[in-house]
Amino acid sequence: MSAASEHKHVGDGWGAVTFICLTVLALLFLAPTIGVLLSAFKSTRDIALGDLWSLPQALYLDNFAEIFANPSVRIYLVNTLLVTVPATAASIALGVAAGYVFAKLPFRGSDLIFLGVVSGMFFPPQIILIPLFKLFNALGLIDTLWPMILIHSAMGIPICTLLMRNFFSTVPNALREAALLEGVNEWQILTRVALPISLPALAVLATLQFTWIWNDFLWPLIFTQSDDKRTIMLGLVSLRGQYSVAWGVQGALSIVASLPTQVIFLFFQRFFIRGMTMGAVKG
Amino acid sequence: MESHVRFWRVVLLAPPLLVFGLFVLWPLADSFRYSVTNWNGFSADAAFVGLENFRKIFTDGLFANAIVNSAIWMAAALVLPTGAGLALALLLDSGVRGAGVFKSIFYLPICLSSVVVGQIWIWIFQPDWGLLNTALSAASGETFGFAWLAKPGTALYAVIVAWSWQQTGLAMVIFLAGLTAIPRDLLEAAEVDGVAYLKQISHIILPMLRPATVVVIALSVINSLKGFDILYIMTGGGPFNSSDTLAMFMYDESFKKYKMGYGSAISVVLFVITLTIIFVYFKELKKMDEIYE
Repeated sequence: MSAASEHKHVGDGWGAVTFICLTVLALLFLAPTIGVLLSAFKSTRDIALGDLWSLPQALYLDNFAEIFANPSVRIYLVNTLLVTVPATAASIALGVAAGYVFAKLPFRGSDLIFLGVVSGMFFPPQIILIPLFKLFNALGLIDTLWPMILIHSAMGIPICTLLMRNFFSTVPNALREAALLEGVNEWQILTRVALPISLPALAVLATLQFTWIWNDFLWPLIFTQSDDKRTIMLGLVSLRGQYSVAWGVQGALSIVASLPTQVIFLFFQRFFIRGMTMGAVKG
Repeated sequence: MESHVRFWRVVLLAPPLLVFGLFVLWPLADSFRYSVTNWNGFSADAAFVGLENFRKIFTDGLFANAIVNSAIWMAAALVLPTGAGLALALLLDSGVRGAGVFKSIFYLPICLSSVVVGQIWIWIFQPDWGLLNTALSAASGETFGFAWLAKPGTALYAVIVAWSWQQTGLAMVIFLAGLTAIPRDLLEAAEVDGVAYLKQISHIILPMLRPATVVVIALSVINSLKGFDILYIMTGGGPFNSSDTLAMFMYDESFKKYKMGYGSAISVVLFVITLTIIFVYFKELKKMDEIYE
């Protein structure tokens, strides 16, 4: 545990004060989320009458029924999966390859290249928007899922390279040298020695990348036009017009759209937090 | 042996560098090229206009407006998520019961999509039944119906609050990691010497949290420049451009007005600003490495 734990406050009344403080803050912090949850189980009429912030009297599921009857929502979800899964896998694979070289096969100037790649994660995407639009236009890929798959694979390289390099650096060089002496080649060392022990790092990256790509909004906004190419977050916004005052339906939509990432967060929170801190601190 | 290593270097490094180069580096360079043209997004050719776009930028009232708003957002980023994250981290680190649950609650918003966060906060600020007006009405006894997101005076700040709600958890986690690095004996010695807790914070904890603070501040500032989705959802830069930021201004000029040359010039400015921040950040990190090694 951390430095200040155990020895402070406990038993002198401050512990209780801290606990109450945190409880109040946590409730304030949760209020927005609770509002959405409540709205999803209420009719538009109840919400408009100012009855949002109370517990529902009965289990009202019409909002969810409305969503699942809407064929667009299904298409959005499938599209999002079709983008998220391959792009997550590709960015991690590329990051593993680059990270391995930077950690285990460094060369003169490799640190500089590493720094250049990693700093890519800090720039706002706006600075490459126009050329990418032109590129995908020339390739005839506008209004397909390809721009999102390709861009997310590329934009994920900085964080994946950073985490994998840091992880591979902790793998003892002796392990690699012993394997080399036995006549094993570099590829086999990577896939049979380094990768099996880096499962925690891979889990961190899988959680981070899946969440970020799933949640993305800007790229589909730029690169898709027709309804059947939209991903869920863009779909959420475009359905706002259709359900402009149907607040409950919008709430239910937000919940359904967030469900996959929330489930991942619940189960892999450890990995997620570790990834965020490592990415931030070691940057 | 050496040729073996060289072979694998190339084989392993070529694919990631190729993909990164094609979809990130080359477009970046291309942005510079378009920034000196008047390309409209459709026509095959674009005329070279020299530094005309940049001259226009610095006389464009909308750009000045956007840069002021970005600066306000950045200043808020220095204070809001950083301060709240630090406070939460200190509270959580006191060995309080249920710290794990609290941590999850404060961290949850970070894995929500900005689209969903924006949506949630539209409802908080909703004039008729939103949480904020409901609470204000209940507290004052009068009926509040203020349209926070539709008024030029409050729209930007409302978005910044929503954004900070999402960012606080990240700051908290980094501060918590920083607190772990403080040697326990130091605080115990202070305790034994009867140093008050507030004094421990200002004399021991805060100075030792400097590395974490640098990271949090840099991330917040950079993320404030990246803040686009949430703004797009909540106000779209309106009303009357009152909440426009650089990122939003760039999007509007390029993809709504189809002034792609001009838009590219804005991206170049955005690039230079970000680069400056990253440069300062890396330098600060390096300085710290030297101190701590």
